[in-house]
Amino acid sequence: MSTETIDLDEFRKEVRAWLAANLKRRRSSAPQAARTETKTPEEIAESRALQRKLFDAGYAGISFPREYGGRGLSAAHERVFREESAAYVMPDFGAAGAVTFSAIARSMLAHASPSFLRRHMPKILSGEEIWCQFYSEPAAGSDLAGIRTRATRDGDRWIINGAKIWSTGAHYADFAMCLARTDWEVPKHRGLTWFAVSTKAEGLTIRPIVQIDGEAGFCQEFLDDVVVSSDEVIGEVNQGWAVAQTMLVYERGAGQVGPVVLEPRTLAPDLVALARKARRTDDSIVRQSIARAHINDYAQYHLGRRIAARLRASDQPQPAVAAYGKLASGTFSPIRARIAVEIGGPEALLWHPGDQRAMRYSINYLNGRMTSIAAGTNEMQRNGIGERVLGLPREPSFDSRRPFSEVIAKARNWDGQVG
Amino acid sequence: MDFDATDDQKVLLEASARFIQQAYPLGRVRERAYRDVACAADYRRQAGELGWFSMLVPEDLGGGNVSGNGVLDAALIGYKRGAMLQPAPFAGTNIVAYALSAAGSQEQREKVLPALMSGQASASWAISPPAGHTMESSVTAEFKGGAYRLSGCKTFVQDVDEFCWLLVAAATDDGVSQFLVPPGTPAVTVAALDSLDISRQFAEVRFEGAQLPPTALVGTAGKASGLLARQCAIAAVLTVAESVGAMDHEFEMTLQYAKDRIAFGRPIGSFQAIKHLLADMSLSLEMSKAIAVAAAKSLGTDDGYGLEAASMAKAFVGEAGVELAQNCFQIFGGIGFTWEHDQHLYLRRLTTDAALFGDPAWHRERLCQLSNL
Repeated sequence: MSTETIDLDEFRKEVRAWLAANLKRRRSSAPQAARTETKTPEEIAESRALQRKLFDAGYAGISFPREYGGRGLSAAHERVFREESAAYVMPDFGAAGAVTFSAIARSMLAHASPSFLRRHMPKILSGEEIWCQFYSEPAAGSDLAGIRTRATRDGDRWIINGAKIWSTGAHYADFAMCLARTDWEVPKHRGLTWFAVSTKAEGLTIRPIVQIDGEAGFCQEFLDDVVVSSDEVIGEVNQGWAVAQTMLVYERGAGQVGPVVLEPRTLAPDLVALARKARRTDDSIVRQSIARAHINDYAQYHLGRRIAARLRASDQPQPAVAAYGKLASGTFSPIRARIAVEIGGPEALLWHPGDQRAMRYSINYLNGRMTSIAAGTNEMQRNGIGERVLGLPREPSFDSRRPFSEVIAKARNWDGQVG
Repeated sequence: MDFDATDDQKVLLEASARFIQQAYPLGRVRERAYRDVACAADYRRQAGELGWFSMLVPEDLGGGNVSGNGVLDAALIGYKRGAMLQPAPFAGTNIVAYALSAAGSQEQREKVLPALMSGQASASWAISPPAGHTMESSVTAEFKGGAYRLSGCKTFVQDVDEFCWLLVAAATDDGVSQFLVPPGTPAVTVAALDSLDISRQFAEVRFEGAQLPPTALVGTAGKASGLLARQCAIAAVLTVAESVGAMDHEFEMTLQYAKDRIAFGRPIGSFQAIKHLLADMSLSLEMSKAIAVAAAKSLGTDDGYGLEAASMAKAFVGEAGVELAQNCFQIFGGIGFTWEHDQHLYLRRLTTDAALFGDPAWHRERLCQLSNL
């Protein structure tokens, strides 16, 4: 395997020149309302073409190994590219794209076999395969290891049955990374396996879920005798929890290069605009609320910088530290959304039909709780911080040592005894 | 507090922590030893030798910092001080030294400033809580017969005695002016107050027609408002740093207690009711550290957002500190109600810190005004 060496400044020059010659500049960097992203087939097709262009020029998977279609450079090179490309129109696969290139691709790199990676990774990096997660189930969210989708071995293939939910972008994804139970007679963490499932597979039904804001970004799925070949297993059979751990770390933002976010230096512009519209800029209660929101934004931004510095300063990986950022977001986003509604009153609650700008406060209010629930609830983050950062003992566990089949048989009649 | 601390900063902090441990551990805080004039003088002199009062003064005036950002260096010292609830008007003395180096007369810089930095003399900033939403002074100075006559009262003056230099802002005809008041000035009375906080001593300073010559002015008459705004921001950041130190120490005490205290057959920290509270407190502490360092870096490097950052830090940490102290109290339970336990020392200090140099609501309003809202 040949390795390319190029210093960061030189790389930046190269990137700058290529971007200017090949991509379109973005028209506006105005912040958008936090709508759940859903993409039309046309938008997806455009993004695929754009991703292919990046791939052909060597700017897709910059820090991924060359043998799997990447460029084999460092995370710092990846960051340079993000900084430089921020002003350009880039591929946008919605939320499914975000998980494809971070949580999914990274956990595959860490756990999938070389032949699997040679088969899928170049297609992922070139935009040919968009992936989504078949992860949560109607009866298992925070307790992910408690999933009940069943995969049964049948010669050199597996038959999968069950139901999945909260799969972002599954209706336009090409593949799903699906967690299923492959052994019911061992404790819950030890009988799990990951599979690559084509979204076109026979027996798979995908239905968009209409969400609280009327949009459909998430889906639910029914797997009815879906057949997957053995070489589409990701990681080892029954060792799926190790893959899940890697995935959760990326899902919660650790190790992710992340978009370039600037220090917030303008007093909550959205809230100030709303207060002006409501003619309440002289109201001291409103002024206090606006300041409070901006101060929280500023503190959250610097918390992010602090977490990054803390990870840099440590020679050991500290995945749990990322939980601070997630908990901060889950704590302050709903508060901020409420502040807007309190400041605006009718200005935030009512709008003329189709007035996107005016409706964003209500939409944000409904979606404000997204980060306190999705990708690990606030409570799960608190457990992570409490146990893995602060070193507090765990709650007694009723289910982690006995066979999963026994756990589900007895759960409804739990007598309050542990062990 | 800062993961990016330089080696020089670490040396300064280690020396400061050693000094604190030897000179004024928590036992001395409880004895309120600093009220003894000899003890205070000794403490101040040793602190001066460590450079505690020199960080905001340029080298050509005999001062000097260790990282190029004196506000950050002083804040890091403040963090160590806060952890052990140290006495002495650290923010106040640094503000006086800063004001003299920025705007003082040659005489003030040559005669008073070196004595402040070395700790031979003491100085405090005579302030009241900012009134309403302005920075107006509650003291007036009338120019008559070649001298200024100061009248009014400052009610929130820290660790001051009759040997102490005082910096005071007063409303004059032409705006706001600052004066350096020598110890022993007639018609200036210092009345010691009892307070919630027992780690420091607060006083009310009355100016009852005190006469000061124009040479007592710090800077040009009527033109002090710019410098005052900066003094207020620096004092806010240093107080924030002390609060964060106190929060950090109290949180560690509480976390250890949650691991040691057994109830219902297991450590209480294993219960999610306690664990989740501690996780939230830990987040609040991390954010407080982050915003304190950010404000010190911003203000100390004049990056154009320092005044706003200082007010944001004071507002955020003021609330977070009180909240954290209250939660620690709850986790300690009954033992926290005793005089013997240290938690109340922290509760008292953090609650007072929140009010010093502008409370959270005042700083939120100040942020709005600085942002032209």
